[in-house]
Amino acid sequence: MVVQAFFVGVFGLAAIGFGVAVFRTASMVRSALALLFSQAAVGCMFLAMQAEFLGVLQIMMMATEMSIMAIFMVMFMMDPGGLGGMDMSHQKRFSIGAGAIAAATAISVALFSDWGPIVAEAPDAAMQTRELGFEMLGRSMLVFETAAITILTAMIAATAVAIPVRQPGVDTGKLDKGNGDKEQEASK
Amino acid sequence: MTVALVLLTLLVGAWLLAVIEAWLTTGRLRPVAPLLAGLSHLGRESILARKPDRLFFETAPVLLLVVAVLGAAVLPLAPDLVIADLATGALFLNAVLAYVLVSLIMAGWGPNGAYAMVGGWRFLGQLIAYSMLIVMPITATAMRAESLLNSAIVESQAGLWNIVYQPLGFVLFFIAAIALAFRSPFDLPTAPGELAGGVDAEYTGVRLAVLRLARLVMVITLSAATTVFFLGGWQGPLLPPWAWSLIKTLAVAVSMLLVGFYLPRIREADLLGWCWKLGIPLALLNILIVGLLILVVP
Amino acid sequence: MSEAATTLAGARKGRPSILRRWVGQALARNLSCLVVPGPEVALAHGLDLAAADMRIAATPRDATVLLIVGELSQKLDEATAVLYAQMPRPRAILVLGGSAPSSLPQADVSADLSQTELMEAATRLQRLLAEDAFAASPDDFDSSILQAKTEYVCPMHPEVVEDEPGSCPKCGMDLVAREAGGDSDAGEHDHDHDHEHHGHEHDHDHEHESEEHDHHHAHHNDHGQSHEHHHDHEHHQNHKRAHDHEQHQGDDDHEHAHCHEHEDHGHQQSTAQEQSGTEYICPMHPEIRQNEPGSCPKCGMDLEPHKPEEDEGVREGVPEHDHEHHHDHSGHDHDGHDHSDHDHDSSGFMSMVEVTKDLPRSADGLAMDWLEVPFGPCFPGLPGGLKLTLTLDGDGVTEGQATSLVAMNTSSEEVAVETFIERLAAAMPLAPVSYRLLACRAIEQAAGLEPDPAVERGRAAALERERIASHLGWLAQLGRQLSFVWLTRRAAALQLETQRADREQLVALRPALQSLIARLEHTPLLKARLKGIGALPHGSQDLRGPVARASGRTEDARQADAMYRELGFEMRAESAGDAWARLRQRHVEIMTSLDLVEVAGDPELPKLRAIDNPSGTGEATVETPRGRATLRLTQERGQVVSVELDSACSQHIGLVADLVEGQELGDALVAVGSLDLSPWEVTS
Repeated sequence: MVVQAFFVGVFGLAAIGFGVAVFRTASMVRSALALLFSQAAVGCMFLAMQAEFLGVLQIMMMATEMSIMAIFMVMFMMDPGGLGGMDMSHQKRFSIGAGAIAAATAISVALFSDWGPIVAEAPDAAMQTRELGFEMLGRSMLVFETAAITILTAMIAATAVAIPVRQPGVDTGKLDKGNGDKEQEASK
Repeated sequence: MTVALVLLTLLVGAWLLAVIEAWLTTGRLRPVAPLLAGLSHLGRESILARKPDRLFFETAPVLLLVVAVLGAAVLPLAPDLVIADLATGALFLNAVLAYVLVSLIMAGWGPNGAYAMVGGWRFLGQLIAYSMLIVMPITATAMRAESLLNSAIVESQAGLWNIVYQPLGFVLFFIAAIALAFRSPFDLPTAPGELAGGVDAEYTGVRLAVLRLARLVMVITLSAATTVFFLGGWQGPLLPPWAWSLIKTLAVAVSMLLVGFYLPRIREADLLGWCWKLGIPLALLNILIVGLLILVVP
Repeated sequence: MSEAATTLAGARKGRPSILRRWVGQALARNLSCLVVPGPEVALAHGLDLAAADMRIAATPRDATVLLIVGELSQKLDEATAVLYAQMPRPRAILVLGGSAPSSLPQADVSADLSQTELMEAATRLQRLLAEDAFAASPDDFDSSILQAKTEYVCPMHPEVVEDEPGSCPKCGMDLVAREAGGDSDAGEHDHDHDHEHHGHEHDHDHEHESEEHDHHHAHHNDHGQSHEHHHDHEHHQNHKRAHDHEQHQGDDDHEHAHCHEHEDHGHQQSTAQEQSGTEYICPMHPEIRQNEPGSCPKCGMDLEPHKPEEDEGVREGVPEHDHEHHHDHSGHDHDGHDHSDHDHDSSGFMSMVEVTKDLPRSADGLAMDWLEVPFGPCFPGLPGGLKLTLTLDGDGVTEGQATSLVAMNTSSEEVAVETFIERLAAAMPLAPVSYRLLACRAIEQAAGLEPDPAVERGRAAALERERIASHLGWLAQLGRQLSFVWLTRRAAALQLETQRADREQLVALRPALQSLIARLEHTPLLKARLKGIGALPHGSQDLRGPVARASGRTEDARQADAMYRELGFEMRAESAGDAWARLRQRHVEIMTSLDLVEVAGDPELPKLRAIDNPSGTGEATVETPRGRATLRLTQERGQVVSVELDSACSQHIGLVADLVEGQELGDALVAVGSLDLSPWEVTS
């Protein structure tokens, strides 16, 4: 119990620490990967709280997501290496306000919600997975199916929207492979 | 004790793989060569590029090695020979393998060089291609076992190995595993002929030794994963379970090497195209078929 | 003859100890060589590195030995110094068939250019490494070529590059220092920017916090494509309206006044701003405002005039038209026409899309940092001596340029005829027999000799044998480029056998060659890799050799040759004109050449026949493995006085720029490789 609390605390502090690093650094990739490790620390917190499936899932998803965020940051931002020394924080008052409000909300939710009766011992990981499965395909099926279809639609729409519109009749003299490839791939 | 045994297995496997790889490339069988190569790397100068991102540059090889070892930690070599038989073992393997991407992004960004950077980001494109093809076949095997426990997945193959039960899944997983280990024909991040070594380019000395070791251990881990998920793990007549595991793992690893030896590098656009237009529909089909088989066949 | 140094010039610093001796011995038994100019040159000279227990390294970082084959040109000499510096110590230099380059320390081992000498040299090198890998105080290697030059670039306009610090002519921003390396380390993120503006930022933050609030809200969120811009803009709008509602009581005058000046509802307060005249704002740091023009203290950019009344009219239009046209953002004719004068819209928010609208865009419409990356001169997969400079955006090539560092200098100095022939053959290591033949024919023609069929047969056979070897060498290079290890091994082995084979042995190689070709035609991913890649734009002039025949041009200098007609030569051509067609064309030519050798007889190296009239002007044409080459020379009394050489690769190297434009990097490199350029045959 004490050991568990200790680890939860350690990972929690790590998550906060990495989160702070996200904004302290001027390098885009460092920022993105700091966020990645912050989220991975949250995943480790889940593991320490014996929610094994959630923890592993969190760790897995964050790796891919944050890396993709990293490449987009590198593509679109000036000075992705951060050696130019630009100040990375913006809207200071707004963000401080928003942060304070969010923290207050989270803490009040944590303190004042009715979490139900405290279980003597958490079910083992295999049982948790089973019950998660039943939950997802039972009571929460509608929620997840809707979310999945929405995400899929968003993916397809974003891809379709990102394809440059080919001007009809313009012969760029370029080959089919290469720059035209992306259009071909996505339009098939 | 199990930890030591598993680590030893990984090292021996990596060594064997290095010997076989050298034999394929040069035609000479020199068992002592990888050890000499490792020793010579340890003695060479460690060069740091100009203005590197030091944190990433140093962390990347270590992270890759850690990923490979953690992946092996959840794979059972024998019913009692597994470091941590997690209840969500199959998912954990996936989670850990996702950090190969993080490691390569660090290795690409760290040295502050164009070749490494292009190599690192290319791997992200490669991940978009293979990532689903790793997860979905594992899902199908977990469906058959009705559990995410790796040992349960092995035991569910007692009557019929998954390679026969779901051959489509095996083929897709095998291909995706080679892509994950970024070996030929999917060696886009390191591309010796196009990027002068890509992410490997700027590493020398100790870091290069760790990187090379990590890559070999990664192949062993992925081969062990293929064995556990599709080849019935430790099951087999006559020989003790761990021997079967080792034989199968080595067989898969050597076949991965052979595939690389006899094929040229794939185009990135083709890889993405084939994986998304052919691979993922097939993986979904595989899940459908397995689901039907489980429900219909007693 | 061959000598060896007694100590290693590239030893690593360290007192020799037992562990270090073992490391040295491990290094010695695990020799990895970086071949300069390239492994294909070593193969062309008949060197089998694997037999000498040496492994070919792809990069200098991976190499222990710098293996120099033949004499190097001046430019390649300098490049070699850079390569040597990139190798980690302990490192050694092995020179075959020439003297050590002037920019490097003395060669550790040097030998003549032959396989036996190589084996001997390798043993000596091993001994040297085993004993002297570590030295207590080795000399450091430095060279003037390695000094990094500093250049100054504008962070927002990467095409602006100056040698002195100053301001960008386009936007006025301070230029930041960057190291301009000649090798691969020129990354885009090596700004050596002095953080002298940091202090300023902190001060300004304090004062202008409230203003930053509105400006940076959108500024921060809108670093992206314009459809993201749209979403956040809406956000911005909603937020502002809500905010105004709350703040309407004026508890924070600063923000209040500020918000109002940008509202498009025609608030009363806005007129106050109008009357105060134009303000000057920094596009990147909207909190910097002044009443007179100048430069921003944070970044040095020119301040832009900000006219509230103009912007207000515009603002109504902005969210709607972004909404409608956000998927058009790839076009240069961005619909931000309305505020095209300003890089930011009325709220002071700086849209990255607006700011970057003048930046060059690649074909997919994204404005990314363009990076100039050198590929060469000793790049694995490309012909050695070829320097390819590609401008990359991400992994696509926007423009490219190829130059040869080993081009032959056909300067006029009088040389004896025999010397001339030797020099020409030595200057073209990838096709020595062809150029020897070319020189002999030209000289004999100048001397007025008629071709002798008996001699011509042997010469034709030698030329065809070289063609086979050259195409096999190209296949090995293709294997290196595509990391197709089996192909490299097989083609290299066959090339070595072909080069020293007589007619019998060549005929005996037929099944092996046929099976190689058949296997390549059916290799699973090869066709997908090569098909459609490297197609030249229509109307490319002056293609020669296999490249021309693969595009359907029926041109082959051998058709005009009487001897070849006698041997039954028939020209074949493919039609597709892409890399796959060139591969098939070279396959076909290998088999054709084999047939010709079989008919012609034993190959004989071209030797100059006896000349009795050593004066005159002659011209000869030979179909070298890469295309038609023509030599025109004038000789007087046994001395060659003027030379004019026209070779295929001089024309082909100019095609590279068109070939790589707009391609993905891998495709671009494969396309360049498919041309089979020999940088030596480029005449400067």
